[in-house]
Amino acid sequence: MTQPIAKILVAFKSVPDPYEEAAPGGSGSTAKSVINPFDEIAIEEALRIRERGEATEIVGLTIGPATVDEQVRAAMAMGVDRAIRIDDSRALDPYAVARILHAAVQKEAPQVVLMGKQAVDDDSNQAGQMLAGLLGWPQATFVSKVEFLDNGDRARCTRETDAGLEVLEVKLPAIITTDLRLNEPRYVSLPGLMKARKKPIEVLTCEQLGVQVEPLTTTISTARPPKRTAGTRVESVEELVAKLKEEAKVL
Amino acid sequence: MAAQTLILIEHDRRQVKRPSLHAVTAAQQLGGDYAFLLLGKGLEEMAKSLTGHGATAVLVADDAALAEPLADRYATVIANAFQKTGATTLLATSSTFSKDILPRAAALLDAPMLTDVVAIEEKEGALSYQRPVSAGSMLATVQLKGDKRVLTIRAAAFAAPEGNATASRVENLAVDTASLPNGMQFVSREERVSDRPDLTEARVVIGGGRPLKDKETFDRLVGGLADSLGGAIGATRAAVDTGLAPNDCQIGQTGKVIAPELYIALGISGAIQHLAGIKDSRVIVAINKDPDAPIFQMATYGLVGDLHQLVPQLIESIRKG
Amino acid sequence: MIAMDQSVATREVFGNIAPWMRVLFFAMIFASIAILGCQVLAHWISWRKGRRGGFEMNPRIWLERLTIYALAQKRVHKKTLGALLHLLLFSGFVVLTIGTTLLAIADDGPYNFHHGWYFLIYELVMDVFGVAFILGCLLAMYRRAFQRKPSLGHNWRDWWLLGILLALGVTGFAVEALRMHYTQVQPWVAHWSTVGWLIDRTMLRGIDVPTAQAMHLASWWVHTILVAAFFATIPVNRFLHVITGPLNIAAHPERPMGQLVPLKMETVEETGLIGVGQIGDFNQQQLLSLDACMECGRCEDVCPATSSGKPLSPKFIVTDLRGVMANGGELHGVAINPDTLWSCTMCQACVQECPVLIGHVDLISDMRRYLVGEGKLSGPPARSLQQIGNQGNPYGRPNGDRLAWAEGLDVPTVESNPNFEYLFWVGCAASFDPRAQKVARATAQLLKKGGVNFAVLGKEETCTGDPARRIGDEFLFQERAQTNVETLGRRQVKKIVTACPHCHNTLKNEYPQFGGEYQVQHHSALLAELIEAGRLTNKAEADAKPITLHDPCYLARVNGEVEAPRTVIGAAKDEQFREMPRCGKKTFCCGAGGGRMWFDEPPAQRVSNLRAEEAIATGAKTLATGCPFCLNMMSDGMAGAKGGQNVKVLDIAEVLLSRQPPTG
Repeated sequence: MTQPIAKILVAFKSVPDPYEEAAPGGSGSTAKSVINPFDEIAIEEALRIRERGEATEIVGLTIGPATVDEQVRAAMAMGVDRAIRIDDSRALDPYAVARILHAAVQKEAPQVVLMGKQAVDDDSNQAGQMLAGLLGWPQATFVSKVEFLDNGDRARCTRETDAGLEVLEVKLPAIITTDLRLNEPRYVSLPGLMKARKKPIEVLTCEQLGVQVEPLTTTISTARPPKRTAGTRVESVEELVAKLKEEAKVL
Repeated sequence: MAAQTLILIEHDRRQVKRPSLHAVTAAQQLGGDYAFLLLGKGLEEMAKSLTGHGATAVLVADDAALAEPLADRYATVIANAFQKTGATTLLATSSTFSKDILPRAAALLDAPMLTDVVAIEEKEGALSYQRPVSAGSMLATVQLKGDKRVLTIRAAAFAAPEGNATASRVENLAVDTASLPNGMQFVSREERVSDRPDLTEARVVIGGGRPLKDKETFDRLVGGLADSLGGAIGATRAAVDTGLAPNDCQIGQTGKVIAPELYIALGISGAIQHLAGIKDSRVIVAINKDPDAPIFQMATYGLVGDLHQLVPQLIESIRKG
Repeated sequence: MIAMDQSVATREVFGNIAPWMRVLFFAMIFASIAILGCQVLAHWISWRKGRRGGFEMNPRIWLERLTIYALAQKRVHKKTLGALLHLLLFSGFVVLTIGTTLLAIADDGPYNFHHGWYFLIYELVMDVFGVAFILGCLLAMYRRAFQRKPSLGHNWRDWWLLGILLALGVTGFAVEALRMHYTQVQPWVAHWSTVGWLIDRTMLRGIDVPTAQAMHLASWWVHTILVAAFFATIPVNRFLHVITGPLNIAAHPERPMGQLVPLKMETVEETGLIGVGQIGDFNQQQLLSLDACMECGRCEDVCPATSSGKPLSPKFIVTDLRGVMANGGELHGVAINPDTLWSCTMCQACVQECPVLIGHVDLISDMRRYLVGEGKLSGPPARSLQQIGNQGNPYGRPNGDRLAWAEGLDVPTVESNPNFEYLFWVGCAASFDPRAQKVARATAQLLKKGGVNFAVLGKEETCTGDPARRIGDEFLFQERAQTNVETLGRRQVKKIVTACPHCHNTLKNEYPQFGGEYQVQHHSALLAELIEAGRLTNKAEADAKPITLHDPCYLARVNGEVEAPRTVIGAAKDEQFREMPRCGKKTFCCGAGGGRMWFDEPPAQRVSNLRAEEAIATGAKTLATGCPFCLNMMSDGMAGAKGGQNVKVLDIAEVLLSRQPPTG
């Protein structure tokens, strides 16, 4: 292809570090925040597309209060050209997120929106598809390979489905959501983060975007499933199967 | 054709996927009647196979334009059908098929959605739903606002429905091909040769270590147990090194990091290299003949004994249900 | 006996050479030296493209180093043909050069001292070293033609150089013999020029004076032209190291082997540069060092990455960078592949071998820093670094679990025993790796038995940052270092003992860069002291099986601790102790260093496999070591090697603990 895609927008979410185990007895609320790992893969892919000369500008987009600026900076340190944070500290559901993203995408008018297939905190796996529905754009979800064809008019995407792999072609503009095997994100070192600290973050509000959202889902409670008691010895296969069925409820 | 719940049925172009029908149990818990919705090309036989499950109707959108499950077209057709039936709940069993298409339909319907629901409860007149979050480490209870909702449920959490003698009617839905979106095109499909899921995404993983001795034993015990649970197979670095398992099966610090709901370690002593890759698993089962193996410190359930006896017993016991 | 007339004991210099020829001679020699000079100058200019500094500035150290490494050739000596022929060539070349210079001074200087006894001894010495020189050339040719050691590298320039050197030696003797023949030197004088005299007596017998004179003139010209050609072509062949080698030997900065150069955040902010992205980002001394390499291949011979089939040869790092310095072009991804840089275990074997003191590991470290800064690191090592940053250990385990290893042992902590003498720095491996936890337990038990007043930091301990620094995230390392120095200061730590050579090295050699000065000991050293004080016994049981020791690189080579681990396992008095061929400071890496512990590695490329085979070959049934990473790697290596299943891999502390009499 000769004509690079002018703009790729990468939407990402800040989530509690999934690799951090809550200290024994602790609430787990002190966990460090990181970029949602699937979104990190989306950012990495956008950067690789740009490094191949197939895109010109990478814009990062997130929603959250000022505390998520640290993850915005991490995205910038990875190489995102500029970043927008939509200031909203409410607990939004995927549909509300999709509607805010919808407004932002209309403002930015990218040719491709890349985002993770799901966030590892609420595991909903909805926002990308909803955004595509609202925009009326084609979508390719759970993608493990992306190629651009016809001067960047179309993208050929390999999707990871339950049955195996599926190859789709989508007309741009389109939404692509990323799966685990697409790439391995680059490591951001401390100086990279510090350099990114100087880059400005554009902060917008829903009002400025002209969008009003009210979350339609309410989380009443979250509970830890019966905590595993380390080192329970069982004496027989029968006892093991019984425990797995009745206590752990995994069979 | 009216129904309170519209259940999207998944098929593989030859037959209906059985877990799809587990949504019937969820629909029954929600209350009210339900209809099935089937999209594709050449669906006559499949539609007939759905008539014995108590649905008010089996709605069929049979058109060459729907031969492949392209999300933009499917979501449009599904949203239209939902509005036509006057349903309040759009329901399906969780899969990459339903997760690809239903959120898009939810956006078209301006409805909230929940994925991977494992329980439905009624509390003080309002329905609440339970679903796992944070890779299964937490269980959230959620309520929804509004008069419409879209849900996907986990097949494992809802029983397969019992047959129902009242035969459902099969109704064809007219598809206005010209008005369907046209931005997505199917190119090809490559079905996995093995039925086993991908290691990093599997709900159940069986790992094997070097004491499995040879490839044949590894395949028989680790592979056999994995297949009985619909799980993926993994291996320690040592097992990979000695050629018991391919390199892409390696779990650990320098291999894949997994976080399944159930991890069963067979003949794995628990080197740090391996433990680093499994520490986020929800339930860990260890079977090992060395009672002092470090893996037992991390295991939820430990069973000391000979793999060659215990694993076939375990497979047998799981097969029996 | 013929009377010895001292006045005839001298020689003519330009007797057979017409004045115009002499002018031509000097013109040629000066021209060729000028060509040499210009080319060396061009090299000099290319070194100056580097960042300023990096040079050792202490003249006393220069002199010391030049004496040891240039004059005494310390690093060259080995029991190999290459070392022998280098000695012959080196000594021959030095003596012949000095001799020829003296001749020129005597002839053209105000006072001619070139006669009498001085002259006779001079002639003899010149002949002896001339023979040595020719022998060296012949041996080098033999080695090149028949041994063809791959790490040496082979190309036509080498034959040009050896050919010209041999021709210089041979024509030198021809000129001598012919001069002696036509000047009819008295035999008693001639005997001192033994080789010339023998040629004269055998090959020149019966040749008349005018013919000899003509032949002399011809061979003198050949010799002269060869000398000129030799000088002019020095910069394009291996001989350049005669100039650049000593320069680098003097200029190489004096630093402990285990210490990497710190980067300053201010510098990074000023220059926007982390590590080396372009050739000019190296410092001037590093660029000079590239030209000092004569491609002997000794670094490659000892490199664990090369021998395990990884895409790294320390020699090619140097020569590829030299190519970029000379011809320009991209460094990363073109001249040097990232995989090459990630292959290094930083075992320092190459650095230890290099006769001209090139710092391969520093070169690699600087380039790694750039890659990490540019976001070129991903996958398992990236995960480990993230976990060092987030959880304080590369395993990603909750740092609060740091004392899990000590369960049931009643190990004193800095809180329960604030008046400790030694801080036992456990390290991440021994805190979280179930195998290494046993080593921590053994060490703690031994310290207790030995009556040592010690304590551990518990959850206040975090990773030293060693993996971060070796992989190339300098500032993650510095963040760890500052945190730990602060903790150690708050707990008033003065003496540290640790069972991890990597923690040991970092605490001892690198924390002083951040104001942390401690007396740091590896557990082997403290245990050896306890044994010598009679508080522990290292006596093996009578029926003990053969045992060998794998020296951890960062203990033996990098920090010079060779004896203590041997004392701990009682090697000196144990007939069952077997030494591996590569031992002590010449040990061979297990493959885990330089952050390699955290990289994925195809089974065929594991260094530990090679080392396991070496250990099995000694017949040992126990392999003792003193490093949790060696322990891990060697256990894996043994498990995969033929006959390795019968070899136990243990830490020296575990061996020692098993030898203590049971106490009540």
